[in-house]
Amino acid sequence: MIMRPGQQLLLPANPLFVWGSLVGALLLNMVQNMGLWGRAAWTPDLLAVALVFWTVHQPLRVSIGVAFVCGLLMDVHHGGLLGQHALAYTVLSFLAVAMHRRLLWFTVPSQAAQVLPLFVAAHAVEVLLQLLVGGNFPGWWMLLAPLLEALLWPLASVVLLLPQRRAPDPDANRPL
Amino acid sequence: MPLGTLDRAPPPFFRQGPSALTKLAVCSALALLLMVADARFKVMQPLRLGLAAVLYPVQWLALRPVLLAQDVTHYFSTMTAAQSAQAQAQIKQTMLSQRANQVEQLDQENARLRKLLGLRERLQAAASAAQVIYDAADPYTRKVVIDKGLAHDVRVGSPVLDEFGVLGQVTRVYPLVSEVTLVTDRDQAIPVLNTRTGARGVAFGDVSAHADALELRFMAANADVIAGDLLTTSGVDGVYPPGLAVARVEKVERRVDDIFARIYCVPLAMVSGASHVIVLEPVSAQIPERPQAPPGPASLRGRAAK
Repeated sequence: MIMRPGQQLLLPANPLFVWGSLVGALLLNMVQNMGLWGRAAWTPDLLAVALVFWTVHQPLRVSIGVAFVCGLLMDVHHGGLLGQHALAYTVLSFLAVAMHRRLLWFTVPSQAAQVLPLFVAAHAVEVLLQLLVGGNFPGWWMLLAPLLEALLWPLASVVLLLPQRRAPDPDANRPL
Repeated sequence: MPLGTLDRAPPPFFRQGPSALTKLAVCSALALLLMVADARFKVMQPLRLGLAAVLYPVQWLALRPVLLAQDVTHYFSTMTAAQSAQAQAQIKQTMLSQRANQVEQLDQENARLRKLLGLRERLQAAASAAQVIYDAADPYTRKVVIDKGLAHDVRVGSPVLDEFGVLGQVTRVYPLVSEVTLVTDRDQAIPVLNTRTGARGVAFGDVSAHADALELRFMAANADVIAGDLLTTSGVDGVYPPGLAVARVEKVERRVDDIFARIYCVPLAMVSGASHVIVLEPVSAQIPERPQAPPGPASLRGRAAK
């Protein structure tokens, strides 16, 4: 296996943490909807960020099938067209799988710039589907959503890798 | 360093599973199938219910901090705000009291006159109170979620009111919550009656023109509608009881090249920010069934049509 120059050796990912972070992202999405911003179109979709992140880092665990199921759950929560998020996340996850070997060779800000088109594509799929079934256009503010998601990429790559960056042999001086 | 410390397992050579392209094709086809089945054939409600049951614990958990924050803000809302709200409510109640006292008498009079004329009694709809929990997240529609569902005997199609007027209609029922489509949703139509002229029409949700409004469509360009007219439910639909306030006409545009006037209305209900609502039973349950057509001529006609 070819290693990138300066790559940090990481602990194996804990499957529980991977699934837990996906559920957590779904939960935060719901909190954004229920408590903070209602049905605003510009809110960043944290589940999409988490899905792309894990598809890039753990493509054998989290892949297109998982994205599809997550999309279905989001659809049920939204109460809109069933299958709309499922298709958007499927496309998102496919693009992430296609670029996962290349992406990690770049610095984190550069990675964020490269995942931006993925999020744009996912939102474009949703808007196209809605225009097909006759929904109304939610306004130009929605262009902000993929931008915010791309801006969250550096944060995700710090937070979601934290458990893997712990010491391999924790002792009294280095508990974590 | 013990084994298994590094995240560097060799990739599986032979058990690769289906390729990403195959998965994309299968999942996209499945998603499209679901969308067609949902939007066109409306048969996806069982799947929705199942997934909603899976999702409910997460939703419950997500709602806790939200409710907590609301409680805290309620607690710290000042005395003066509460007092002014109470004073306003009292003023409103005083203004309504005169009408409310007359209603008893009018009701009695109406009942007597109806009996005299042999008309049917006015339909009474059973009501139950509910609370709006949150706005449904879909930015392409206008829906809210209320805290009553199948368990509380809410039925699809029930009208929902708030203290000012008709808010919308229950369009999807889950075990513990239900979705209410607001009158301002693009696909929502409500039959109305202009209280000034008595003319009936249909008001449609209109989110494109300006934020959250209604449009009274299919009124002739010379129809007698002026800004300020009150629209109430007409009661001819078998869903809404007659006489509930829906909207007020805001602006009437009459164009030479258009056979219909463009009539914009503002909903009276608080479509953004309603908290306590009333769910009525649809009137259709009380309406007697249509009389069967006599069998002879109908079957003849059916044969002739073939």
